[in-house]
Parts: sequence; structure tokens; C-alpha cells
Amino acid sequence: MTAETPYLNRLSGLVLLAPMTILLAIFFLYPLGKTLWQSVNDSGFTLRAYADLTTSTLFFKVLKTTFVISFTATLVSLLIGFPVALHLSRKTPRARVPYLIMVMLPFWTSILVKSFALTVLLGYDGVINSFLGWLFGTAVHVPMVFNRVGAIIGMINYLLPFMILSILSSLLAQDANLGRAAEVMGASRFTIFRRITLPLAMPGVIAGVLINITLSIGMYITPALLGGRKDMMVANLIDFYTRQTLDWPLASAIAVVLLVISGVLVAGLGRVQGMGQAREVAQ
Amino acid sequence: MTRLSRIAGPLLVPVLAWICYIFLMAPSLVVIPISFGGGGDLHFPPKTWSLELYREFFTQPAWWGTLLRSLVIALCVTVMTTLLVVPAAYALQRARMPGGRILTALAMGPLLVPVIVLALGLYLELAPFGMLNHTLTVVLAHTMLATPFMMTSVGASLRHLDRSYEQVSLIMGASKVRIFFRVVLPQLKSGIAAGALFAFLISLDEVIVAYFITGPDTETLPVKMYSALRWEISPIIAAVSTLLTLVSLLLAVAMMRLERKERSQ
Repeated sequence: MTAETPYLNRLSGLVLLAPMTILLAIFFLYPLGKTLWQSVNDSGFTLRAYADLTTSTLFFKVLKTTFVISFTATLVSLLIGFPVALHLSRKTPRARVPYLIMVMLPFWTSILVKSFALTVLLGYDGVINSFLGWLFGTAVHVPMVFNRVGAIIGMINYLLPFMILSILSSLLAQDANLGRAAEVMGASRFTIFRRITLPLAMPGVIAGVLINITLSIGMYITPALLGGRKDMMVANLIDFYTRQTLDWPLASAIAVVLLVISGVLVAGLGRVQGMGQAREVAQ
Repeated sequence: MTRLSRIAGPLLVPVLAWICYIFLMAPSLVVIPISFGGGGDLHFPPKTWSLELYREFFTQPAWWGTLLRSLVIALCVTVMTTLLVVPAAYALQRARMPGGRILTALAMGPLLVPVIVLALGLYLELAPFGMLNHTLTVVLAHTMLATPFMMTSVGASLRHLDRSYEQVSLIMGASKVRIFFRVVLPQLKSGIAAGALFAFLISLDEVIVAYFITGPDTETLPVKMYSALRWEISPIIAAVSTLLTLVSLLLAVAMMRLERKERSQ
């Protein structure tokens, strides 16, 4: 196969690839380059923006908030996503379909719709508080939204489908005979889970965790709409410097930091999956 | 094993899973009954039932106008993404191009970079040229965001495509252009359709890039919704949310049907 001449010659290849390449050059590569350039350029080359960042207490506070919220949301979505993946993996492919629709529904719903709905569900006089009030016969106003709890709940709702599908794929790849063999040998359900299911699901778990962290550190809408004033994340800080204080070099420097962090995470993800999605397409 | 754990053990996973299913679905579905409540109050379940919020939505040009604009943009994005990515995906599979691997990785790039970074970059790029507040730039930026999804779904269809069909048609004397349209394209139909659905939905729901590069004249529905949610929670949002959820549901069902068709082939 390797010696075979390609079906399309280089000229046709060029013509077919040019439009997409030009679009990506102008609307993907150039903006990235412009951000990089802007971060070291304020009417002349300067590292002022990065120097400002190293001394900015606001930046480090926001960075810490971002990591705390992202890691908490990821951890919780792992803990509640795993049982769901387990539940799905025990169904036959046909019986799994309606459950998969339930898992995918939030994936297809606009993040604005979900954020709005969560403010109604979790609000001061929201559905959950009304229910608790009815249950205990007294007015209950647990603050669950416009604070860190709200931001984390909204994020978990967004992240869960990715976690569940990632774990599910490695659960489905397991040989069911392993469990059966262990059962015949007298292993308890819990032992089978601990010694067979869990270790074999680890690639899916690690991939799910990395996807979740990568997605959550760049989140903008959820912390803005469901979080409080103190729950500003990196993406919101970029917006703040871009449009409130008009400090474009500083906004760009923060974007570069975010880009580097998520680049490291994506590279880790690529290694875990053996091959990145991009390579998969190439084959 | 104690009696309690023998009873609770098998139930543990389904119960936990069902709590999670409810948590996943509730936010998408709760907006539907709320939207049929009377104007003014946002309650679940509503105290009174009416179509008031929908009447308000469709009588205020500021709302239905942005919906219309968003639909037009999403449609343009769908067409653009198809026209740009399908030929490129085909060329990457059938021609041996120098730098082909880099180009494939580049096409996946928009998926790997945080959207806020792209939004800032586009803002910095367009602002000096006075190109903010243009519908065309929104269409092109959304096309960029949709590229990886089209690439993935068309790439998957192309990998299943048997090269011998093209070889046979070539021997029979068909031109390569004709082969592309008559032999290749029909077999890529479901892959393209899946990519197109993704492109449409990505554009229709996209907030951050549009928030950065649109102005008062080009505001999309998500941008308008985002501002409305931030500054004054208008009950009309419940009606808008229901409309958007219905579109998402329709597209999700279409996607499921496509996947089933793909598998049965």
C-alpha cells in the first residue's frame, strides 16, 4: 500500500485543503499569535504584563479559586459519575439507549438554559428550598446559588456527561468473563469490583478526570451566572481586563498562562489515550 | 455479610445512578413548565398557566429579532463548515500532502484551546480593523469552532469508505470530480449530516466568542440571554430556554437516528 501513488495529486489536494486552511489561519492561528504578541507588546516589546502578574494578588487569588472549583467539581463528578457508568455498563446495548439519552440531554442543552434553570431550582425561594421548607414545616433558605456551591453544582452538571462516557467506554472494553471467573472462585461482589472492575477502569477514569479539569479551568459562563463575586475564575478575569480596565497586555498574559496550563493537560490526555483524537482522524 | 448490606448492596448502584439521572435532566426540563406560567412570576410548578411569556417574546423585536439572526448565522455556519471541511477531510485521506499530519492536528485545534482564549484573540485581531460588530465575522469564527466536529464525523465516515469504489469508477472512465459527487459524497451522507447538526448547535448555543465580537447591532440570542441573565432576570428567558431546549432535543433525536442508521449499514 505504501508504494501506491496517491489517488489525488498534490495540486488537487492543495485546492481542496486551501479554503479550510485559510480560515483556520485567519480565525484560529492568527488570534492565538495576536494574543501571544499582545502579551509582550505595549507600544514596544515589554514583559511588563508578566511582571505585573507575578506580583498581582488578584491574579493568584483567582488562579487559586479556579483550581479549587475545578478540582472539587471534577472530584465530585468522578464520585457520582462512576456509579452511573457502572449502571450503564450492566445494561444490554438496547436497554442502554434511554439511559444514554438522559446522560446526553445536558450535553445538548445550552449552558445558558441550564444556568437559568439551576438558579430557579437552587434559588432563595427555589424548588429545593421550597421542598425542604415543606418537609420540615418551616421556611428554609439554604444559600445554594450565587456562591461557590452554585458555581460547583453548575459545573458538575456540565462535566458529568464527559466523565460518564469516558468511564463507560473503559468499562465496556472489559472482558465480562473475568468477573464471572472471579465469582465462580468465590469472590464477593465488592472484591470483584475492587480487584477487577476498578483497576481495569482506570484509563477511563484518568481520561475523564483530565477532560473535566481541562474543560473546567476555562469555564466562563457558569462562574459568572451561578457563582458569587468571590468566585471569579481565570476566564472571567480575562474578560474583566479586556473590557473593564482595557489592559489588553495583561488580559493576553493571563490567556497565555491559561493556554499553557490547558496545553499541559491536553498533552497528558493525549498520552493517556495512547493517541490523541487528532491522530485518530489522520488514520 | 450483614443482612442490611445484602439488601442494600445490589440497590446501591441503581439508586445512586437514578439520583444522578434526575440531576442531569432536571435543569433541561424544568424550564418547560416554568415557561407556561403567568407573566411576572418564575415558579415551579407555576401557579397559573398561560402563553403570556411566548406572546411577549414574539411581540418584542429585540427578542425574536435576535432569535432570527442566530438561526440565520447557525444556518450559514452549517453550510460554511460543510463546504470547507468535507473537501479538506477528503484530501487529507486521499492525497499525500506534505504537512498533512500537522493540518489534521490544526483542524482539531479549536477543540483543544479554551474558548475564552480564542474569544480574546479574535477580539484583539478584529478591534484594530473596526471589524467588531459584524455578522460575517461571527459566522467565520463559529465555522472555526465547528471545524473539529465536522472533521471528526466526516473523517470517521471516510475511514469506512472502501477505496476500491473510487478505483473501479476511475477504470470505468469517470472523472475524479464526478466520482467525488456521485460515488464518494453519497456514502459520506450520514457523517456530513452528523457534523452539520453539531455545527448548527454549536453556533446556536455559542456565547463567549459572540459576546466578545458582537455589538448592539449583531447581538446573537445567547448573547442577549446572557446579558439578560446577568443584569435582570426577565421571565421571558423561560420561554426562550424552552424554545432552545426543544431545538436541542430535536437535534439530539436526529443525531440518535443517524447513529442507528450508521450502525445498521
